[in-house]
Amino acid sequence: MGTLLQQTVNALSLGGVYALLALGLATVFSIVRLINFAHGEVMTIAGYGIWWALLLALPAPVAILAGVAVAVGAALAMERIAFRPMRGADVTTLLITSFAVSEIIKVLFQNGISARPVPIVLPAWLTSTIDLGAVRIGMISVVSIAAVVLALGAMALLLRRTPLGLAMRAAAEDFAVVRLMGIKANHVVALAFAISGALAGIAAVLWVAQRGSVDPLMGATPVLKAFIATVLGGLGSLGGAVLGGFVVGAVEVFLQGFLPEAALPYREAISLSIIIGLLVLRPDGLWPAANVSRS
Amino acid sequence: MNRLSVTGLRVRYGPIEAVRGLDLEVGPGEIVALLGANGAGKTSTLSAIAGLVPPSGGRILLDGEDVTGLPAEALARRGVGLVPEGRRVFASLTVAENLLLGGAVHAPPPERRARLRRMEDRFPVLGERRDQKAGLLSGGEQQMLAIARVLMAAPRLLLMDEPSLGLAPQMVERVFDLIAQLRSEGLTILLVEQNVPMSLDIANHGVVLANGRVSLRGTARDLLASDAVRGAYLAG
Amino acid sequence: MRRPDSGTLLLLSAALLAAPAAVAQEEYVIGVAAAQSGGLAPFDQPSFAGFQFCVDEMNAQGGIAGQHPIRLEVRDTRSDMAETVKFAQEFVDLGVNFVVGPADGDPTMAMGQITGPAGIPTMTFAGTAPILTQVSDYVFGSYPADNQQAAVLASYARELGYGSAWLLKSPDAAYTLIGPEYFGQAFQTLGGTVLGEGSYTMNQPEFSAIVTTIQALDPQPDVIVTWAWEPDFPAFIRALRDAGVTTPVMGADVLDTPTVRGLGDVVEGVVHTSGGYAEEGSAHADFNARYLAATGLAADTNYHVNGCDIVGMIDAAVRAAGSTDPSAVRDALADLPETQGIMSSYTFAGTDRMPLRSVVLARIEGGQKVFIRRGLADPAIIPAP
Ligand SMILES: Nc1ncnc2c1ncn2[C@@H]1O[C@H](COP(=O)(O)OP(=O)(O)OP(=O)(O)O)[C@@H](O)[C@H]1O
Ligand SMILES: [Mg+2]
Repeated sequence: MGTLLQQTVNALSLGGVYALLALGLATVFSIVRLINFAHGEVMTIAGYGIWWALLLALPAPVAILAGVAVAVGAALAMERIAFRPMRGADVTTLLITSFAVSEIIKVLFQNGISARPVPIVLPAWLTSTIDLGAVRIGMISVVSIAAVVLALGAMALLLRRTPLGLAMRAAAEDFAVVRLMGIKANHVVALAFAISGALAGIAAVLWVAQRGSVDPLMGATPVLKAFIATVLGGLGSLGGAVLGGFVVGAVEVFLQGFLPEAALPYREAISLSIIIGLLVLRPDGLWPAANVSRS
Repeated sequence: MNRLSVTGLRVRYGPIEAVRGLDLEVGPGEIVALLGANGAGKTSTLSAIAGLVPPSGGRILLDGEDVTGLPAEALARRGVGLVPEGRRVFASLTVAENLLLGGAVHAPPPERRARLRRMEDRFPVLGERRDQKAGLLSGGEQQMLAIARVLMAAPRLLLMDEPSLGLAPQMVERVFDLIAQLRSEGLTILLVEQNVPMSLDIANHGVVLANGRVSLRGTARDLLASDAVRGAYLAG
Repeated sequence: MRRPDSGTLLLLSAALLAAPAAVAQEEYVIGVAAAQSGGLAPFDQPSFAGFQFCVDEMNAQGGIAGQHPIRLEVRDTRSDMAETVKFAQEFVDLGVNFVVGPADGDPTMAMGQITGPAGIPTMTFAGTAPILTQVSDYVFGSYPADNQQAAVLASYARELGYGSAWLLKSPDAAYTLIGPEYFGQAFQTLGGTVLGEGSYTMNQPEFSAIVTTIQALDPQPDVIVTWAWEPDFPAFIRALRDAGVTTPVMGADVLDTPTVRGLGDVVEGVVHTSGGYAEEGSAHADFNARYLAATGLAADTNYHVNGCDIVGMIDAAVRAAGSTDPSAVRDALADLPETQGIMSSYTFAGTDRMPLRSVVLARIEGGQKVFIRRGLADPAIIPAP
């Protein structure tokens, strides 16, 4: 029972990070039809931002904010430098562009800083534990879940209550008509990237706090999982991305926790089979986008 | 003064030239009907005027100011409104959100709310359904929403692409009444339509397009009487 | 003394110019495949840096065996197996004398399947899986093998009184999979018990689920052993300690990096094996100082010094063979008796080309690597590959 509760907390905490990343991917995809595989590198950049800020002896909260700010800046710069010149190109071209951006950033970090991880030590209170009767839960998991809830809530408010948020939801449906309303395409696209950057930045903070180090490949695996989550949720659907993130996290954690020892090495394969199974049952995803065909 | 002058307009999609040197003039407070068969280049013309596709040739003047090649968002800010072919309301947004978005950059929040109320008075059905998703409205209601949405921007020049398409006869009636009413409020309107008699009925002038070129033009009355138009569109 | 006239000067300078050509030596070409990016870069980069440094030093002394200038054919594998294999073929086509491959067993074995049949001796930068030499008679290890490391670590664990162990493995690399298994075998030979094991995926996002499994173990193990490397090990130990689990953790030579030591409290007390330790006044310390002076960078891993030792191994083999012929060099290397290296001495004679080298035990204390002891594994408990 205690173990189940603990694994549920683990699942929520991991799923939450996937959800943040998947939501960022889906936000950008819904607007510009780009699956940004360099999204993971935005996360990596945020990690190095935190590391750098801590090297400058800035206090941890400032370093964390700096990490998120760096991620927003990186996402905006990526849009400006790499993706804006490609606006309107076909999906494959955009995909390849994002792979190129991703590779370039990885190599820059590997050869510019170090291929090896750099350690990051965050404040002790973040790494303490909470005892709930027989169950002991890491503070970081709790903080992580809280941060995810806050970030998702803020995102929902932004999308529902602000004109630019409205414009983003509308642009996901029909970008041309949004422009007919006098809303600048560049603003909407930039906002989408900024949001995805902020979400990746928050994900990076949680990630780094849990792992204690940053390395050039840090973002690669989580963004792959987040991509799976967006497909599982329904490509282009924001709610689907969040849901998909939590499902992927839960599948991973519960398999890790409850598979018999002999089956553990096949965990990854089993987890992908479950996800493929879900997609066979629901080919458009768990929570399909309202309108995926029009662009 | 809300005058649209188009001279020598050309629109090209790769190898296809959809509009091949079009001259068009819409005077202030006028309705000009742009007619023609499927694929004649009507939508392409409106798209170029609204800035959705860059013209490959020719000039577009708005009150004498050259606006050729400006992007859609800039033209919208100069008072060009387009009711697009097929309505294209934002299905996953509510009716009110659709309307608010229409006025988002044209009016500060309090004024936007006031305009929203005026639209809801003018189109009571939209007021009743304000919190419903636009995708759930009927075709006619969606057309009303598309028109109301563009009116939220208080445009000077209104471009309408087949607003009566696919509507029930009673609804078609209402749409044409509304267009005539908008002119009486001072709007300049370029109307693309397949319903030739009803369009020419309310229009001041008519222009008939064929293969991207003007094949016929004149006052609405002359066109209604012309053999060519009668033969092509009014025969049945 | 008569001043030389211009004619003499001319002759003299012509002779000087011609001199290098007159004594031009047969080059010794080494194909080097190392990752400058990707998952193996953390190990390949420092290995190659140390290797290159000592190649330069040796060339300043005339080259291999003092007479064959070394020319390197360097390729960046980007940690990609297909690239690695492609380069192996390229080295064969170029007819290189020797090949040095990535710091992991799996890609080295892939290369060996091509370079071995072509008769080119091939050495891994730091792959430690003892099975890696089984792919071909021409494939060599350079670092103390996993079974040697595991035997030394298991002996120490038993000495500390640990009776039970829990193993964390990953099927994604021979190293991370077999290392803990060797430990388990040696530990059981010495009377310990293995309570169970966990499995992770490399670059796995997080380890809290595994930690929860560990917390639920009853009875609790005395020690947790893993061959995990970065960034998995930092993530695992962080999750473990953050969850309040204080069970001792032991690991392998991959933990011997400043970044692992820099993780703070969570790694306090972690015991790991290592290929070497730069005691004051040792050849190792001298290498570190020379490297720092020449490059301005600290040789802060053992991969640096091991990269340098590889140059020494090739040199010793060519000298022993008295020839640069690849087959002769292979035979000489395989029979190399105990030879003094910089990180430690090495013996190839009597092994299946995984050198017998001493293993260092170290503990992380206050962010420092604290030397415990150095010694050869007891042959009686070394698990068979
Ligand atoms: N985006 C586009 N790409 C390529 N060709 C296009 C595009 N849009 C329109 N065309 C072509 O341009 C020509 C004119 O099309 P347009 O849509 O302007 O005609 P239309 O008069 O509005 O027709 P309809 O009455 O069917 O709406 C047609 O041949 C059409 O196939
Ligand atoms: Mg049309």
